Amino acid sequence: MELLRYSRDAWGQEVLQGLSWDLLWLFFGAGVAFILIHALYVRFSAGNPR
Amino acid sequence: MQATTHREAGSAQASVVRHLLMDRLLHWCMAVAVVVLLVTAFLPIMGIKFAWVTLHWATGLLLLIALCWHVIRSMVAKPSGLMLLGRKDLRDAMADFAWFMRWRDQTPGKPGKYSAAQKLMHHSVSLFVITTVVTGLLMMVKIDTPLWKRDPYWLSDTLWGFIYILHDLAALSLITIIMIHIYFALRPEKRCYTRSMIRGWLTRTEYLRHHDPEKWRE
Repeated sequence: MELLRYSRDAWGQEVLQGLSWDLLWLFFGAGVAFILIHALYVRFSAGNPR
Repeated sequence: MQATTHREAGSAQASVVRHLLMDRLLHWCMAVAVVVLLVTAFLPIMGIKFAWVTLHWATGLLLLIALCWHVIRSMVAKPSGLMLLGRKDLRDAMADFAWFMRWRDQTPGKPGKYSAAQKLMHHSVSLFVITTVVTGLLMMVKIDTPLWKRDPYWLSDTLWGFIYILHDLAALSLITIIMIHIYFALRPEKRCYTRSMIRGWLTRTEYLRHHDPEKWRE
């Protein structure tokens, strides 16, 4: 997975264009993972809900 | 800290005002703006093509206005230090986390108006929103608007690259943090706070259950 995006300018030099959009799914997945882990922990942890 | 009491129409139960109408309006304006900005930024990347540029920067400007209004209100019309995150807040956050994980049995103390977790959420969202707005404003130099013509050579390519990275990183981080924010807003035990952001108040029972009246005085 690439971390950065590059393009070429008029002189053929490599120019930084920002973060790779492959990372979109990483950040989305981090949100989903946090929600799932928290929800499952609260649902299945013993005793009173905290 | 000040809160006012009033009686809901048709209800005998006294309630405590948590968010004034202006604060709620600002919150929802900023929320809608952030969602529009995320949708107009990421749908084209995911292959859904439409004319997103004008809607994106115009919404960004509205977000900037709401943000400035919120900051000025916070400084002028709110008690000072309400959202400051100090060492005690961090200790409280650690104690809350240890209790949540069942590493300790002692119930943590109740917070004032905002818990350490709520302050951390606010500051995280603020950091990412301010970063996207500031870098977005700089990036507007590279597009034609009714006010100016584009100037792509204003900064060096390397500097533009770093600005793009900051903008992208903050925008991607907003996806994660907004998902978590909405998740907690929908959780049953936090729903009273969501209602307070819609209707403005907590019941007196909720106020006493979740907050220390010594730290958040009526």
